Amino acid sequence: MRTVLKAAVTGQWRSVTVASALGAAHQAGEAAVPLLIGVVIDEAVRTGASGRLALWIGVLAAVFVTLSLSFRFSLRSGEKASHQAAHEVRSRLAARVLSADGAAHGRLSGELASIATSDAQRVGQVNLALPIAFSAVIGVLVGAVALLRVSWVLGLLVLVAAPVLLGLAHVLGKPLERRSDAEQERAALASGVAADLVSGLRALKGIGAEATAARRYRATSRSSMEAAIRAARARAWLDGSMLTLTGVFLAVVALVGGGLAAAGEITVGELVAAVGLAQFLLWPLSIFSWVNGLLAQGRASAARVAEVLAAAPAVPPGTTPLPAVAGRVELDGVVSGSLRGVSLTASPGELLGVVARDPADAVSLLAVLAREVDPSAGTVALDGVPLSTVEGSVLRSAVLVAAHDADLFEGSVLDNVAAGGPHVDAAMAAARVDDVAGALPDGLETVISARGRSLSGGQRQRVALARALAAAPPVLVVHDPTTAVDAVTEVSLAAGIKRVRAGLTTIVVATSPALLAAADRVVFLASGVVVAAGAHADLVADDDYRLAVLS
Amino acid sequence: MRELLATASGTRTWAAVGELLRPRRALAWGALLVLLAGTAVGLLTAPVLGRIVDLVGAGSSAIAWPVVVLVLVAVTQGVSTAFGTALVARLGEGMLADLREKFVERALHLPLDRVEEAGAGDLTSRVTRDVQVIADAVRNALPVMARSALTIALTVVGIAVLDWRFLVPVLLALPIHVHTVRWYGGRAVKLYAAQRVAVGVQQQQLLDSIGGAATVRAFGLADSHVARVRSRSQEAVDLALRGIRLLTRFYGRLNAAEFIGLAGVLVTGFWLVGAGTASVGTATAAALYLHSLFNPVNAALALADDAQAATASLSRLVGVADEPMPSTAGRVRPDDTTIKLAGVSYSYVDGHPVLRDVDLELAAGERVALVGASGAGKTTLAKLIAGVHEPTSGSISLGGVDLASAVRSVAMITQEVHVFAGPLADDLRLARPDATDDEITAALDRVGALGWAEALPSGLDTVVGEGGHRLTVAQAQQLALARLVLADPPIAILDEATADAGSAGARELEEAAARALDGRTGLLVAHRLTQAVTADRVVVLEAGRVVESGTHEELLAAGGRYAELWAAWSGTRSEPTPPQGRSSGVRTARSAG
Repeated sequence: MRTVLKAAVTGQWRSVTVASALGAAHQAGEAAVPLLIGVVIDEAVRTGASGRLALWIGVLAAVFVTLSLSFRFSLRSGEKASHQAAHEVRSRLAARVLSADGAAHGRLSGELASIATSDAQRVGQVNLALPIAFSAVIGVLVGAVALLRVSWVLGLLVLVAAPVLLGLAHVLGKPLERRSDAEQERAALASGVAADLVSGLRALKGIGAEATAARRYRATSRSSMEAAIRAARARAWLDGSMLTLTGVFLAVVALVGGGLAAAGEITVGELVAAVGLAQFLLWPLSIFSWVNGLLAQGRASAARVAEVLAAAPAVPPGTTPLPAVAGRVELDGVVSGSLRGVSLTASPGELLGVVARDPADAVSLLAVLAREVDPSAGTVALDGVPLSTVEGSVLRSAVLVAAHDADLFEGSVLDNVAAGGPHVDAAMAAARVDDVAGALPDGLETVISARGRSLSGGQRQRVALARALAAAPPVLVVHDPTTAVDAVTEVSLAAGIKRVRAGLTTIVVATSPALLAAADRVVFLASGVVVAAGAHADLVADDDYRLAVLS
Repeated sequence: MRELLATASGTRTWAAVGELLRPRRALAWGALLVLLAGTAVGLLTAPVLGRIVDLVGAGSSAIAWPVVVLVLVAVTQGVSTAFGTALVARLGEGMLADLREKFVERALHLPLDRVEEAGAGDLTSRVTRDVQVIADAVRNALPVMARSALTIALTVVGIAVLDWRFLVPVLLALPIHVHTVRWYGGRAVKLYAAQRVAVGVQQQQLLDSIGGAATVRAFGLADSHVARVRSRSQEAVDLALRGIRLLTRFYGRLNAAEFIGLAGVLVTGFWLVGAGTASVGTATAAALYLHSLFNPVNAALALADDAQAATASLSRLVGVADEPMPSTAGRVRPDDTTIKLAGVSYSYVDGHPVLRDVDLELAAGERVALVGASGAGKTTLAKLIAGVHEPTSGSISLGGVDLASAVRSVAMITQEVHVFAGPLADDLRLARPDATDDEITAALDRVGALGWAEALPSGLDTVVGEGGHRLTVAQAQQLALARLVLADPPIAILDEATADAGSAGARELEEAAARALDGRTGLLVAHRLTQAVTADRVVVLEAGRVVESGTHEELLAAGGRYAELWAAWSGTRSEPTPPQGRSSGVRTARSAG
């Protein structure tokens, strides 16, 4: 956590330093304005000396130019440091999550995305908080020195009373603030429910539940409204009491300052300046609790970021390189997940079908083939070399496991297929991507939205299959590649896979008879063990097998 | 070109605000008066301080009374601000609730083809972003705006009361304010819109790459995806920094206005005091007034673009809220649950018919499976019968009544599954609001979902959907079937994809679907041929035409298109015995080609 925060600050130290220095200048300028009002009244308005008036108005102009410009460049530098640091955190997170040695475990992608946006931003905001804290300190110092020069008594009064006042406001405000936040959360419910109903619009209309849903929404909306009103009320009383406290504080300063002025210890102009400074000091002092909040958020977010960055790889990385891959895949007594001692072999160039009666077996098998996990007993070997010893990126280019829910990415259809590898044309022909392209407005150049959501399930599967085929890896494992495809197309895809993968090892994990009929050999898994093997046409005589693939 | 949903004109939008305000007139006046009183009292501070200056300047030390007045002012101001702001919140939140309820009701009743024509994103962005923008404006901008505007107005009055000549420098600063707001408003709206888009794109890229991390790793695409994330993120950062530059230039201009106002008041004070027409105290009060205007002016002007954005959002909500509710009057109840399509054609785009001259009859209680390649028109046919689209030509009738004028009796489950956020039982009660617990349990049991549903952490009260317990796609589809059972329509159309459930899950779902359809006239879009085996009749669609119709066995025996398909698909010529074959009369399809 410390290293994440430290990197965020040191990576942008130039901007942070500039922001701090200019922020301090801005604060000093803001403190000077009430001071100058007092001086003008003392030296010009009361005396009628027009030369002094011109001089001090000139000084006022200079102060305004200074405070305006220093604010401008302080904020720009601070925001730049904040956003740029967030950007670096975001990039590091993306690199870590996508790195070859496995995922950050147990986190949903939405959660990771939110860490890469919200948490990264909060880490970056530390770069905004630090300069502001620094300039607030300077502001307090300048104000304090100015006040103490006017009068020791008045200065000490303000410097003691202002923090007490803010502390009081904090104590008073805390319960109100908590209540307000809790209510605000409930107030947010209405928009969540509305969005949910609209995204389920087809389901609602399908069963004619529009009126019921609208009634239900009205109830949520009403209770959200009540909560929002309560939240606003708590907030309003908080603001109101703060206003009263500030007013009383000013009255006390006026009382003491007025007494001093009447006694001739300070001038009238100094009294005016003191009142103005007392008001000014409330701001930098109140900034501290806000900065504290930002820093606390920054620390919490940095901890979450650090946790993702430091997540251990899913499996210990191997080191062995591989010579030319022949493509012999051998499982020997593999125990992993639901598999209870599976032994099977895919010979080089074979198209092997695997039918899992229990879906869990398929999932477990794919996990060991992709080396997302190492089997707890037995070995998985490629050309006789255990997968656990092979260097990560080498292994991934030798064995490609195309998951059944493989994602497409934003980009054209062609880009998505070409992301797999160079054998684009043959792959697209085999996966009937021509049909997909024909139904799209710009054919192969049609840009598909993120995760391929703009395509239908069947279109998506075919593009994903083409991508896997285009990669032409020595060993390709595909899982249920045709479940969303109609039966007519499925038959054609089965033939396409066989054609394109001729001479290369392919394992098709599926229960679709169309695919299995095209396989050289089929292995039937049930309850975690191999129960039968042979050609599809022969295996259909087996009742269990038949039930698994034909019913 | 997409035709977006309606957006109200500016005039209509303000009229709608007026309609929302009318029933709350008393509340609005009350809020205004309380805030006005509080602000007016607050303005006493500066002249009272000025009075203290004058007293002290005259060598008097009798300042106790003015100080007491200051304290009273502080208390009154605090209380009335709190009370007034709370009233403004009650007013704003009430109007907001009325508007969003009417909007959501109309949005839910919009015809589906209208929503699809506009693109699903249009309605979703109105219901999320636009409602949020207005809620933020009501909660954050409205109170600040109301108080700032009152403070500014009354302060200017206060300055005028001190001595009208102090207004001259104030008026000198005014053109800068007007110009600054115009200059900023136009740029800010455009820039912030671009910034929101960039942040959305960045978020999308993160979800895309992180969500697809397994695929990225499998294909070794990490470098290109990290580069994509970096470039999207940098674009968002650059736009955010441009926004900051704009904002600081905005404040720079306001600083100039502040200086002109303040220096002007001081110089005016100098002259007036010199001429003997004003006291030093008055000059002091005027300067303090002006200095105290800085914050409310900045606050109000900085919110100007929020107000503009809220107005734009408001007109999008009012546009939809003004849509008429569909009329249900005069609808006829069909005599039975037969469906008859005669010569039905349909095209989304003129000249590209998706369905051509389809004749199809479904007997009461009959279960028909539609088989065909993607793009053969299966889903379109299902949507026509569900009443989502109207046929381009030909007619559809339910129990002898034209579909458009029949009481709605067709339910449809589509490929898009959605689990409604909230307790599981509430999700199901959308289909039948008054369902008893027993009916809920029975419906879940019928679709084979009772086992896992009861095993959820809090059983049927478990919060599911967005932000709750995550259900698998197969479970979500079972829920959709359970909703169908509860809605209990006489006619049901199932066009659900079983793909994401995996093959074994698909089988379970097919069984659940079969049980849910029991006792109804059912049309089933078959994604797997096994679904056709158990149907009463199979209808084969090819390029928008019905080419074959009959039971599974009859069509196999006929040796036509379906038989070919079955042989190729099952990889076996041997005719399998279907698990529960039911027979019905042979119907020959009329192929009008």
